[in-house]
Amino acid sequence: MDDAMGPDLISDLPQSIIESILVQLPIRDAVRTSILSSKWRYKWASITRLVFDDKCVPFSNDREVVEKSVVKFITRVLFLRQGPIHKFQITNSKLQSCPEIDQWILFLSRNDIKELVMELGEGEFFRIPSSLFNCGKLTRLDLSRCEFDPPHSFKGFVCLRSLNLHQVLISPDAIESLISRCPLLESLSLSYFDNLALTICAPNLKYLYLEGEFKDICLEDTPLLVEITIAMYMTDDIAEHFEQISNCNFVKFLGGVPNLEKLVGLIYFTKYLSIGIDFVHPPMMYNNLETIELYQVNFEDMVEILVILRLITSSPNLKELQISGSSNIPVSVDTPDLDFWEKECLSDSTLNKLKTVKLSEMGGWLHEIEIIKYLLGHSPVLETLSIIPCVFDVENNLKMLIELVKCQRASTRAEVIFTRQ
Amino acid sequence: MFDAAMAVVKPEMKSYIWLQTVDGSIQQVEEEVAMFCPMICQEVLQTGLGSSKTYAISLPQRVNPAMLGLILDYCRFHQVPGHSNKERKTFDEKFIRMDTKKLCELTSAADSLQLKPLVDLTSRALARIIEGKTPEEIRETFHLPDDLTEEEKLEPLRNITDDPRIRLLNRLYARKRKELKERKKLKDVEVEEEPKDERSVEDLLSFINGADGGMSYIKGTRANKNKKKNRRRKDHAKDISSENTNENDKELNPLPSAYHDVNFDNALEASASKHSRTQNLPAINFSPKFEFIDGDVDDDLDPAMKEELDREVEDFARRLNSDWPERMQILSLGQDRRLVPISMNSNGSTHLYTGFDQR
Repeated sequence: MDDAMGPDLISDLPQSIIESILVQLPIRDAVRTSILSSKWRYKWASITRLVFDDKCVPFSNDREVVEKSVVKFITRVLFLRQGPIHKFQITNSKLQSCPEIDQWILFLSRNDIKELVMELGEGEFFRIPSSLFNCGKLTRLDLSRCEFDPPHSFKGFVCLRSLNLHQVLISPDAIESLISRCPLLESLSLSYFDNLALTICAPNLKYLYLEGEFKDICLEDTPLLVEITIAMYMTDDIAEHFEQISNCNFVKFLGGVPNLEKLVGLIYFTKYLSIGIDFVHPPMMYNNLETIELYQVNFEDMVEILVILRLITSSPNLKELQISGSSNIPVSVDTPDLDFWEKECLSDSTLNKLKTVKLSEMGGWLHEIEIIKYLLGHSPVLETLSIIPCVFDVENNLKMLIELVKCQRASTRAEVIFTRQ
Repeated sequence: MFDAAMAVVKPEMKSYIWLQTVDGSIQQVEEEVAMFCPMICQEVLQTGLGSSKTYAISLPQRVNPAMLGLILDYCRFHQVPGHSNKERKTFDEKFIRMDTKKLCELTSAADSLQLKPLVDLTSRALARIIEGKTPEEIRETFHLPDDLTEEEKLEPLRNITDDPRIRLLNRLYARKRKELKERKKLKDVEVEEEPKDERSVEDLLSFINGADGGMSYIKGTRANKNKKKNRRRKDHAKDISSENTNENDKELNPLPSAYHDVNFDNALEASASKHSRTQNLPAINFSPKFEFIDGDVDDDLDPAMKEELDREVEDFARRLNSDWPERMQILSLGQDRRLVPISMNSNGSTHLYTGFDQR
């Protein structure tokens, strides 16, 4: 049969190539290769990366049926495999907390697991078994909807580089000690945490992503941070807490990140940074900061504007700026204080590298227009300034356009693009 | 060292590296293009070869001139730092548009030159070819021989047991089966031949077995008949699974005690469980059937025997089903791991017994 078709093209390729092919197939297809020919019978059994997603078993509307078949499939695959497992990922929305998961994690802990990703379906939170803490070679841990309770004797994951906890029940102390006990940690992502006052000590940390109801964030020892994304939600508790803070959050938060390259702040982040800010304090320079994105900025709050300005003026190499206003602002009757824009330090500064500016959710407030004026007037290499106004207020938009046309431009190449939604 | 060698070349000429493929042909390639391949780069730096035609670098066997051409095209594009990511991607997409045979050769060649980005690209392309196809289509695309038996395809994926004793046993079974086939052809009376065969096999087996594990040895009077029925299993059984029950009765029984080998247990269990749960196999895309009638059956097996075999196999399956909880319990308690043999007792019904349960 061989001769009629021609020689076998693929079965004799080195195992490393076969593995890299199989690993790029969905797990079902990879396992199915075992019936291709006698040589292929066990080639799948040594792949080191196992990913079980929503498509790994046939679809059915009955969640329990699917869950059962997923559990069976995973158990069988683990059982029939050979060799170490480096990556194990379950992202299956039908699979909920079930006792087999404990066994799988125990099995993985004995097989040199390096990357573990578990995103189970909505339902009861899965309680992480203690065998996870014995996975000494873990480099990446992604958990979703779990209860994470490290034992007292836990010394941390010495190889862990990436930690992603999403909707995980864990005590604040445990989180902080977990972070500080993973010396190689480079990427940290925590989302959907409640009422957390977090102090981060991670000397190798480069990427930070925080989303949740944070009372306070203190970057105590993070000199290598390169990218920060923070989304801070507000509750009454936190609002109260904000009232009571006395120190300067800007310095506390951004004081120890000289290598910062990208900063993204969402929801109440700008408000958080604005607490305690003053213009007298000598700014720290962020020479590597090239991208700043701030969303849900309250343009009627001068202090928040101050935050933006301070960030801009401390970043001589800033290339890209994105600011999004908040369309939920109540209309204020007070006339905003425009003297502040006359300050000298502002008029002297130039944004020598700023090329792209994107302003969205602009409601036409005075401070918005002033900021546009400032940006246009102080950016000699600006190429694009795009403005996307709020949908609602046509009158304001018109006012804004009129003001825009008057603006002086430092860059001859600047294009101002006003997009109507 | 390299610089000194290059100093020989006239300054206004571009630097070239000489490469020799396995067929003997030599070509020269611009230095920066060739050096993009880690293997060539290493060769040049470590041995100083490649600077002239006589000292050309010998490329690995898997790189033929056609493949070398393709690889150099790839290197030529990618070693230019100016291209954007998008441009590179577009180039890659166009580059891998070739027939499957070439793609496989290219993967192999790139691997031998340690050009990982190209290996990744080609493997991804091969994965895309394989994905979503039926086994027949895949076999056709890659010219794979369809050399698994029906039974092997339907069988569960078993643990590979590297135990040499098992391999030897498998070889014995294969031999035995061949003999049965021949016998059937000649239509000899089996009974007369039996004793002869038994003895030789037994000798070997008792040699393998060594100490007696206390397993009783049951002779099945219907062994011959069963053996005949089972000769339609053309394959080499890699483990002792339920389909081979009838044939294995004699050979298997003395062995179990020697195999305190968990893998074996598991293999058996796995296969056994698969058969006992043939109905609940949605996950892996085998379509397990207990009726091996339809597949690859030998035509010379007469229907009566077929029926009987099927019945026995079904019996066994039912037996397995009922024994399963008990066996699970035993095994989970980590008891003495004796092989769970499958045997035939004299009245023809199969049963499974463990060391605890000797009838």
